[in-house]
Amino acid sequence: MTALRRHRKLSAIWSSEPGFRGWFSSVNHSDLGRMFLVTAFFFFLVGGVLAMLIRAQLATPHSAFADAGAFAQFFTMHGTIMMFLFAIPTFEGLAIYLLPKMLGTRDLAFPRLTAYGYWCYAFGGSMLLVALVFGIAPDGGWFMYPPLTGPLHSPGINTDFWLIGITFVEISAICAAVELCVSILKYRAPGMSLDKMPIFAWYALVTALMILTGFPPLILGSVLLELERAFGLPFFQADLGGDSLLWQHLFWLFGHPEVYIIFLPAAGVISTIIPVMARTTLLGYGWIVASAVALAFLSFGLWVHHMFTTGIPLMGLAFFSAASTLVAVPTGVQVFAWIGTLWKGRPEMHLPMLHIFGFFFTFVIGGLTGVMVAVVPFDWQAHDTAFITAHLHYVLFGGFVFPILAGIYYWLPLVSGRKRFFRLGEVAFALIFLGFHGTFLAMHWVGLMGQRRRIETYDAETGWGAINLISSISSFIMAIGLAMVLIDVLIHAFVAVRGGRNPWKAGTLEWASMSPPPAYNFASLPHVTSRDAFHGDPGLANRLAKGEGYLGDPQSARRETLTVDIATGDPDFMVIYPGNTRLPILMAAVTGLFFLSILIKLYWLTPLALAGVAALALVWVWRLGARTDAGPQDAGRGVTLALAGETEKSPGWWGSVFLLVANATFFGSLLFGYAFLWTVAPGWPPQDWLAPSLVELGIGGAAALTSALAMRLAIRGNRHRARPLPGLAFALTATLVTAVTFAMLLSRVPPPDGHAYAATLFVLGSYALCHALIAGLMLAFAIARARRGYTSPARQAEFHIVSLWTDYLAVIATLSLLAAHLPGFLA
Amino acid sequence: MLAGAAAILALVLGLLLAAFRRRGTASDEAAGVKVWIIGLGFVFSMSVLAALTVYGLFAGQRLMPGAGAGVEAGVGTRVGADVVSVSAEARQWSWRFAYDDRPDHITDDVLHIPAGRPVDVAITTTDVVHSFWVPRLAGKLDAIPGHVNTLRIEADTPGTYQGLTAEYNGPGYRAHVFTVEAHDAQSWDAFVAGDRQ
Amino acid sequence: MKDVLRILLAPLLWLASFSATYGLHGIGCALGWPEIALWGASVFRVALLTAWLVAILIQVAILIVLHSDRFRAASAFTQWASLATAWVGLVAVLWTVYPVAVITACGGNG
Repeated sequence: MTALRRHRKLSAIWSSEPGFRGWFSSVNHSDLGRMFLVTAFFFFLVGGVLAMLIRAQLATPHSAFADAGAFAQFFTMHGTIMMFLFAIPTFEGLAIYLLPKMLGTRDLAFPRLTAYGYWCYAFGGSMLLVALVFGIAPDGGWFMYPPLTGPLHSPGINTDFWLIGITFVEISAICAAVELCVSILKYRAPGMSLDKMPIFAWYALVTALMILTGFPPLILGSVLLELERAFGLPFFQADLGGDSLLWQHLFWLFGHPEVYIIFLPAAGVISTIIPVMARTTLLGYGWIVASAVALAFLSFGLWVHHMFTTGIPLMGLAFFSAASTLVAVPTGVQVFAWIGTLWKGRPEMHLPMLHIFGFFFTFVIGGLTGVMVAVVPFDWQAHDTAFITAHLHYVLFGGFVFPILAGIYYWLPLVSGRKRFFRLGEVAFALIFLGFHGTFLAMHWVGLMGQRRRIETYDAETGWGAINLISSISSFIMAIGLAMVLIDVLIHAFVAVRGGRNPWKAGTLEWASMSPPPAYNFASLPHVTSRDAFHGDPGLANRLAKGEGYLGDPQSARRETLTVDIATGDPDFMVIYPGNTRLPILMAAVTGLFFLSILIKLYWLTPLALAGVAALALVWVWRLGARTDAGPQDAGRGVTLALAGETEKSPGWWGSVFLLVANATFFGSLLFGYAFLWTVAPGWPPQDWLAPSLVELGIGGAAALTSALAMRLAIRGNRHRARPLPGLAFALTATLVTAVTFAMLLSRVPPPDGHAYAATLFVLGSYALCHALIAGLMLAFAIARARRGYTSPARQAEFHIVSLWTDYLAVIATLSLLAAHLPGFLA
Repeated sequence: MLAGAAAILALVLGLLLAAFRRRGTASDEAAGVKVWIIGLGFVFSMSVLAALTVYGLFAGQRLMPGAGAGVEAGVGTRVGADVVSVSAEARQWSWRFAYDDRPDHITDDVLHIPAGRPVDVAITTTDVVHSFWVPRLAGKLDAIPGHVNTLRIEADTPGTYQGLTAEYNGPGYRAHVFTVEAHDAQSWDAFVAGDRQ
Repeated sequence: MKDVLRILLAPLLWLASFSATYGLHGIGCALGWPEIALWGASVFRVALLTAWLVAILIQVAILIVLHSDRFRAASAFTQWASLATAWVGLVAVLWTVYPVAVITACGGNG
C-alpha cells in the first residue's frame, strides 16, 4: 500500500462528517480541541469587553457610566468568565488537541466523552451569556460569599445562573480531567515509558489530577448553596446551625488549587517551547516533574490564605502562611531551570520567545507580590484592595495569558500548515506588554493608597483619579494589542502561504504528523526510544506515513489504536474507538435540561431529565462491545494484542478509577463540611439527633458490603464457568436493600430546612441513595449484557467496572451510615 | 520588602537577558542542575523565604490582642488593665458601636476610642459578611454571621480616622464607611461619663 | 499505577497530616485545651507537638522504605522521582507545621 492510498483509507475511516454537520457529530480530538479553543477565546473576548467596561467606569471619579448594580455584574462576570469559561477550557482545548499527537497516538481515551464535555461547556457557558445579555447576571463577586448570595440577601435568579451554569461547565472539566489522566497514562506510543514522556504531558497529567481533586469541593459548595436557595436547607445560615465560613472553606479549597490548575499547563507550554527556542534539551527534566508534583500538592495546603482576615487563630494562619511561602520554592526551581535551559543552549528571539519573556517579567513580579501577601500582617492591610486585584492579574496574565500566546504562535504552523505572513505579532506583543504593566502597576499603587476592589466609583479628593486614568488608558492599549493578535491569527489561518513541516525543528512527536494533522494523526504509530523522539530521526515522519510503525494496516473500517503499560510503555491492548455520533450533544442537551429545570424551578421536569440522562448513558455504553471473542489482534511489527474489552483493566475501568477519585473528593468534602459545622458553626448541637438504629446501621452496611462481595463472585463465576448471572442477581438484590435502607433513613431525618444538621444528613443520605441506585442500574445493565451474549470469560471488562462502583458503594454507604448514627449513639 | 523584591526581579531578569548575550560554550546538564536548580532554585529561594516566613509570623504575633488565656497566655502579647473593649456590629450598610465602659450607649457610624491605649474591638454582623478596617490603626478583620472576631487597634494620637468596610457586601458597599474618633484621656473620661460630644 | 502512587505517596501524606494538624488545632481551641496544664506546657501544645513528630516520623519512614530493596521502583526514573517527592514531603512537614512549636495557642488576629 502506498502512503497516499493509506492516507485515503485512514481518512475515510477517521474523518468527521463534512461541513458544519460534522461539528455536531465529531468525536475527533483535533476537531474538539479546536472547538474548545475557539469557544474559550470567544469567552475571552466577552470577559475582555467586561474588563473594558470596568476600566471605563473607574477611569474618572464620580463616573455615572454604570450604577452599583450593573458594575457588580461586570466584575462578577469578568472574573467568572475568565476563570471558568476561558482559562480552564483553554487548557482543556490545548491538551485535547495536542496530547494524542505529542504522545504518538491517534485519539484520546474516550472520544465521545470529549464531545460530551465540549457540549456541556458550550451549553453551560451559553446560560451565563444569556444572563449577561438580559442583565440578570450574577452580582455577588466571583467567589460568591453567602449570606450575600443566599436566599435572603439575593432573592433574584442572578446567583442561580452562577451556581447552576458553573456546575454544568465543571462537568466538562471533570470529563476532560478523567480523559486526560487515562490518555496520558495509557494511550502513548509504544516504548514511551514515563521518563520519555514529553514534559507537557507530565504537566497536563498533574493538572488533570488537580482538577479531579480541586473541583469537587466547589461543586459541593454550589450544590449546597443552591439547595439553600431553592429549598431553604440552611447550610450557610448562622441562626439555623449553618455557617457562611463553610462556603469560604469549600470555595478556596477549590480556589487556590485553581490558580495552579491554570498556571501548570502554561508552565508545560513554557517547558516545551524554551528548549526548542534555545536549540537544546530541557535542563533538569526530572527536577521539573518533581517540582510540578510538589506544586500540585502544596497548592492544596494554601486555601486558608484567602481567609487570613476571617478571624482564624494565628497558629492556623501560620500553617498556611508557611505553606504559602514554601510553594514558591518549586516555582522558583522551575523558573531557574528555564533560565538555565536558555544558558545551556543558544536562544533565538522568535515571536513565541517574546511572549515567554513577557511571562518571566510579569510572573516574577506576581510571584513576589504573592510572597508579600503570604505574610500575614501585610495581608491584613492589602486584603480586598486593588493591590490584590493587581497581584492576581500579574499571576494569571503573566502565568497564563503570555505563555498561551507563546503557545498559539508556536503551534499555529502545525494547526494551519501555513507560514506567518505579516509581522503584526511583534507590534501586538509590545502593545500588550506595555498596556498590561501600565494598567496593573498603577493598580498596585492605588491599592496601597487604600482603594478597595469592587467599588464602583470614588471621590476626587482621594487623589486616585490620575492613577486610575493611567490604568484605564493602558488597559485600552492592551485591548488593542490583543485584538491585533486575533487579527494576526485570522490572517494566518485563512490567507498565509503554505509552510513546511516542523518549522521550529522541534523534537516532540506532534511535528511528525502532517501540518495540518489528518484526523488519524499518524498513519502508523512510532516506537519511541528517546524523549525527543523526532529529534535525531528526521526520517521518522516519512516512515510512519509509509506504515512502518504499529497499526499501519487499516484492514477493516474500525478506528484502532493501542494502549501501553503505564511505567514501561510496552504495548498491552488494542482499542477500537466508536465512530462519529450525535449521542454526546444529545446527552449534553438533556443534561442541560436537568440544570435548566432547576434554574427556572420547573421541578416536574427534573426527574424526567435525569431519567433521560440515565437512558442515554445506557445507550452510550450498550453500543460498545461485541458478541463474539475476537482473540489476539495483529498490531504490526510482530506484536499481537488482545482487545481492551477482553481484559480486566480496560480503559473504562481506568476512567472509572479517576472518576471515583473525583467522586471520593466530593464525598470527603461533604464529610469535612459535616465535621466543620459540628465543631465551628454557632447553633450546634441541634435540638435532637437522628434516632440511632442498630438495625438500620447493620442491615445497610451489611447489604452494601454484600453487594461488593457478590460482584466478586460474579466475576469468578464468569471466569471459571461463564456463569456471571447468579452473582450479579445477588449483588443487585443487596444493592436494592442498601437503597431501601437509605430511603428509610431519609424518611426519618428531621425536617432538613430546620437545621443545618438535618440538611447535611439529608444530603449525605441522598448521596448514598443515589450511588446505590447507580450501582443497581449498572448491575441491571450487566445482567442484560450477559443475557444478550455480550460477555464471556474473555469479554469481562464490564464486570470489573461494575465491581469498582459496588466497592465504592460499600465504602460510602458504611461511612454515611456511621456519620448518620454515631452522633445519636454518642448523645 | 519592596527593595528585596526589586533586587530579586533584577536578578532574574539579568540572568534571563544574559542568556541571550552570552557567547561561549554551552554548559552541560550536570553542571546546569548544580548551579540553576540546586543553587538558585533551592538554596537561594529557600533561605529568602524562610527568613520572610519567620519574620512575618513574629510580626503577626506582636499585633495580637490578649487572647489565649490560661497556661498559654501572654506569649509576646500585651495584656493589661488599660485595654478598652468596644463592640462593632455591621449591617447593610452601617456600623453600630457599643462600649463596655458605657453600657447604655450606642453610636452609629462613629467609633469613639481613647488615644494611646489598646482597644479590643469585638466585631460581628447581623446580615452578610463585612470587614472592619481602619487603615491607619490596624489591619482588617471580617464580621462573620454568628461569630465574634476581636481586633486590637491603637491610635497613638487623638484625632479622626477613616474606617472602611473591606469585603464586598452589596450595592451599598462603596458608601459603607465610618469614622473613628480618638480622644485624649480627658475627653475619653468625659465620653465614658456620658457627656454629649 | 503503583509507580504513580509511589511518586504521589509522600506529598499525599503531607497533605493528610497538614490538614489533620490544622483540624486538631481547631478542635483543641474549641475544647479549651490550652488551659489544661500538662508536663510544663498545655495539653494543646503537647498534642500538637506530638502530631508534628508523628508526621515527621511518617515522612522519614517513607524515605527509608523507598530506599529499601523490597519497595524501590523498577525504573531508575521512577525511583529518582519518588525519592525527590519523598524529600518534598519531609521538608513540607518540617516547614509548614513548625508553627505548632512557636506560635501562641488560639490567639485571634488583628
